Amino acid sequence: MFLLDNQVVREDWKSAKGLVAETLQKHGAKLRTLRRWDERKLAYPMSGRKRATYFLGYFEIGVAELPALRRELDLSEKVLRHLILGCEAVPETENELAAAELAEGFTIPAPPPDDAPEPKREEERPAFEDTIEVPDLNDLEEIR
Amino acid sequence: MSSFTERRPKGTIVSKDKNCKQVVPNYKDLEHLRKFLSAHAQIVSRKRSGYCSQCQKQLKLAIKHARHIGLLPFVG
Repeated sequence: MFLLDNQVVREDWKSAKGLVAETLQKHGAKLRTLRRWDERKLAYPMSGRKRATYFLGYFEIGVAELPALRRELDLSEKVLRHLILGCEAVPETENELAAAELAEGFTIPAPPPDDAPEPKREEERPAFEDTIEVPDLNDLEEIR
Repeated sequence: MSSFTERRPKGTIVSKDKNCKQVVPNYKDLEHLRKFLSAHAQIVSRKRSGYCSQCQKQLKLAIKHARHIGLLPFVG
């Protein structure tokens, strides 16, 4: 997983994706999938940024090339953080999602400004009933 | 009893609880991971999480990965 600066993504998200892909391929990695995972508010500020874009990729790389790749990602100013973990197989859903992103006409919304609040995710709320039963006031008086 | 006394190769983590069938959330599964954080964003103990030793280690690792990448806070 790669955490990219929103400023780079704002210019062109495909070039931002290409930046990650090029870095991986430069170090001899065989790229399986790479897609934009999410754009969200960070749990804590990093390099003065409060929001960033996550890219999720699956790739094959030799053990000998890994330190050089990590070093380059560490030094890159555009990549805020990275997390490289071992994985047995690429999940099936990843292939589908990555293919959907490559389709023509696929666009992503521009990242909001850094101080913008977290957009509310639409949740399914239970529908309110149209009629509300109001207790009869006369009955209440009788009880008293 | 044998599982406690048996010597394992160095570096391997073997669950002592053979019946543990709980699923440890991935570092991207934030909704699930947040359930295992206290109000101050500390990782809850095995007593509260209900996980076995091996699963608790995997949970700890998943939370630490999520913290590193900025998905979860270090302090609440």
